[in-house]
Amino acid sequence: MTKIGVFDLAVRYGKLTAIANLTFSVAEGERVFISGPNGAGKSSLLLAISGDVAAAHGRIEMDGEILSGLGSENVARRGLSMVPEGRRIFGGLSVVENLMVGTGLRRDRSAVAEDLEIVFDAFPILRERAKASAGALSGGQQQMLAIARALMTNPKVMLVDEPSLGLAPKVVDDVYDRLCHLQKLRGLTLIIVEQSSARAARVGGRMLLMRGGKIVADGDAAGFAADTLLTEAYFGEQT
Amino acid sequence: MSLQLIFDALSLGGIYAIAALGIALIFGVMKLVNFAHGQFIACAVFALIIPSTDALAVLGLGRLPAPVLIPVLLLFGAGIAVAAEAFVFRPMRNASPVALMVGSFALGVALQNILLVLYGGRPKAVSLWAELGHPVQIGPAEVPLLQLIVIIAVGLILGGLALMLRHTRVGLEMRAAAEDFAMARMLGVRANRVISGAFALSGALAAVVALVLVAQTGVADVRMGGQIMLVAFIATVVGGMGSLSGAVAAGLGIGAASALLQAWLPTDARPFRDAFLYGGVILVLLFRPQGLFASAGSKPRV
Repeated sequence: MTKIGVFDLAVRYGKLTAIANLTFSVAEGERVFISGPNGAGKSSLLLAISGDVAAAHGRIEMDGEILSGLGSENVARRGLSMVPEGRRIFGGLSVVENLMVGTGLRRDRSAVAEDLEIVFDAFPILRERAKASAGALSGGQQQMLAIARALMTNPKVMLVDEPSLGLAPKVVDDVYDRLCHLQKLRGLTLIIVEQSSARAARVGGRMLLMRGGKIVADGDAAGFAADTLLTEAYFGEQT
Repeated sequence: MSLQLIFDALSLGGIYAIAALGIALIFGVMKLVNFAHGQFIACAVFALIIPSTDALAVLGLGRLPAPVLIPVLLLFGAGIAVAAEAFVFRPMRNASPVALMVGSFALGVALQNILLVLYGGRPKAVSLWAELGHPVQIGPAEVPLLQLIVIIAVGLILGGLALMLRHTRVGLEMRAAAEDFAMARMLGVRANRVISGAFALSGALAAVVALVLVAQTGVADVRMGGQIMLVAFIATVVGGMGSLSGAVAAGLGIGAASALLQAWLPTDARPFRDAFLYGGVILVLLFRPQGLFASAGSKPRV
């Protein structure tokens, strides 16, 4: 069943076109990696789906309902949560306060405490530092906090922008392990921006390759690692 | 230092702190320097008296007993601020901070002119809570009862506000929104609720300042909001734009410094007190242009 549908999407910043004529869909429970060089429009795509950036053209649907024009706060209320580029945790708030910001939209207040236990079990370091200021966490811990914070909204779909950026490889493995574990546990649909196709192949899932605001390839992440398409996407067509 | 001087410093600083907090709250959530805040104060002052251009002020709302008058006037202040947000600032939500600031100037001028039409331009004598002027004996010092009440009220308000920001859902949302509004919205935080809440609090704080100003000076003047707005704005800059505790500390500091300078400067230099005061402000900003309490811990780490 289609969870997220993107149809003929265009995103522009002034005269600059970040995304043009983009169409794809994601099935419920699927894990989709989006890869491509810098400036390919990966982050813009996630921000457009989350409603933070307005689409210049086209539409975005979730469960067949149109999300475009709702505004990010209402998109979040429909069960779509975002782990943005640079994590954007609230540094002046404590760890547990960061986790609670996104629970205001929930009607199932009684399940909030349970979910807090679930994310604390998945990320024990967050339990340990629950009262600490989030700004004092290390980069890897902040990444975990950003993921846990998104989970606390009880999302059906989670968008994750470059969870590996700036982290040591071992920490990245750790982050992906827990992300996949939580996906299985919650039946999440995951869309992840990941620069490293090797990493995506290891974790497993579908991969969309973007370049110049368009999708240039779509297939199983494992098949991409050695594919010439990748070289093309990064370095342009070879003659 | 005499006890009397400490009370002077605390009460003046407390009022500046409350006014600065009203500006910092709104700047925190929407990066708007609300220059109409002074006119919110003036509106709350004039709400106490019956509209007329006569020289003699007749108390209207101000005749209510204090336990009724205080909540009514706080609601009035909150109402004006929320209405200003809904009709002026909400349509400008996506405008640049500079455009918002100019909008707040325009709103302030409009409010001031409405007051001029309704009440005339001459300052009016208003007698509100005159009995609070009586001195009370505290140790060796004689302190006006009003000053004591102001200091206690400011303490309660600051404490209550801190509790609200720490322990309520809307407080949590305000603090999150003040750090990263777009991120808070992506977590489902309602922008309109947070912004209206900040304006309501700010307006209620303006009403507190109005009550104290009238009770202290016994005058209602269309221009009285502007003067304190200037000091409060300077306090928010010195404290570090967006830092609530910074605004409170700087407000207290400026008020206290102004009371102390008044007492300690040689008599010949007293008329130039403000020059000394703002000289000090310039010195502070030379060494810490970002303000005394600019948040450093909120930057992302890699």
